[in-house]
Amino acid sequence: MTSTTLKSLARETKQRLIVGVGGLAVSNSRNAILTTYSLGSCLGITIYDPVVRAGGLLHAMLPNSNINREKAMERPGMFVDTGVPALFRAAYELGVETQRVQICVAGGAQFMDKTAFFNIGQRNYRCFVDLIREHGLSTRAEAVGGLVSRTIQLHLETGEVRLKTSGQTRETILFGG
Amino acid sequence: MDTLDAYLNQIETLPAAPRALSQLMNLLGEDDVHADSVVELITYDPGLTAKVLQCCNSATMGLAQRVHNLPQAVACVGFNEIYRIVTAVALESTLAGAQPGYGIATGELWQHSVVTALAGRVLAQKLGSDENLVFTAGLLHDLGKLILSEALENAYGALMEETGPSGRSLLEAERLILGVEHAEIGGRILARWNFPEDLVGAVWHHHDPLQACPHEQLAACVYMGDMVAHSLGYGRGHQAFAVRDRSEVFDILGITAPEIESLILETAATLEESVWLKAPAS
Repeated sequence: MTSTTLKSLARETKQRLIVGVGGLAVSNSRNAILTTYSLGSCLGITIYDPVVRAGGLLHAMLPNSNINREKAMERPGMFVDTGVPALFRAAYELGVETQRVQICVAGGAQFMDKTAFFNIGQRNYRCFVDLIREHGLSTRAEAVGGLVSRTIQLHLETGEVRLKTSGQTRETILFGG
Repeated sequence: MDTLDAYLNQIETLPAAPRALSQLMNLLGEDDVHADSVVELITYDPGLTAKVLQCCNSATMGLAQRVHNLPQAVACVGFNEIYRIVTAVALESTLAGAQPGYGIATGELWQHSVVTALAGRVLAQKLGSDENLVFTAGLLHDLGKLILSEALENAYGALMEETGPSGRSLLEAERLILGVEHAEIGGRILARWNFPEDLVGAVWHHHDPLQACPHEQLAACVYMGDMVAHSLGYGRGHQAFAVRDRSEVFDILGITAPEIESLILETAATLEESVWLKAPAS
């Protein structure tokens, strides 16, 4: 087998990492695809630095960690207010720089009534936006709210973020990398 | 009424497993139910027995020793756990299939039902309610979708229109498009299969618990379990979040809105230990 064939084989062997509820993962491997399923009212947040080609994905469940500090220490990714800083800290270790970072967000589905008492999706999103604005950051692409659950993927090779909406068979590109 | 009957007559197409469950539920309702009677009920079904033992011996159950027969299993994990295992095993194949009319893929209705049941059980534990009853009602709450899915396959456009621009809930859209709704169908099927009245009421009114009076607390536990399952991403399919808020459930259950977050957190922890969610959600 020639070295060219080996190289092309390596390119095709994608390393798929699944991020569970309350989890986060970062990578600088070109072959890595970070995926999170089950985004209902939860938020899936991706960050990517196209210069170092590194980034990460967070699946945060609830807005504020003050309801259970112990849990937040053990699994910071459970909450938006502890998960987002943890995601950035982990990405800095890989050389990611704040001013270059591309941020995308998906999830935060919302039940239909305006007077929603079950408005966790909306509160997750507000908490997230307030947090990144405090640092002068904004998102590149969003698929937030609505009546559906979602799945997202971050492709480390290109920075592309793909989105799948429950009930639909096709993936769409949320952010083009 | 003709429409309703036409749909209800389709119950013949459903698997037999849930019917056997009604016997199990009635056993549970007896005052001095003995583990032997449960063992006797399922022991004649070798497939069910094998699955129950496999479940008891799975790593997540954490038993110190393997169990080889049902009496041993009951002794090791306890009657209540065996009851829940039998219920879930009996219903898994019934609920595992895809429901294309709702945009629900293979395995997704089962996962949704399990998470609803587990969240409801967490809530029942807090309230001191009957955990097994809430668990079973949670597993069965969307049974009616099995009947309506096919008819909805031809109504995708109408479903999206009603739940989108027209602002209707999925349940209201079903009634408008098909003349019936899945919660009522589910309740009526369970009534035909002689399930206890409280469980029938809870399934029938799981989107509007006050209507389940005098079983509104059970219905409210299922409603809340359903909402938690959606929040955790286990509410799949077309416009799955098109569900009406029922703030009266707080009065029925005696809990406050902020407690929902704790319930979600505890349910998520329960899911990690659950033997029922082997495959990742997708």
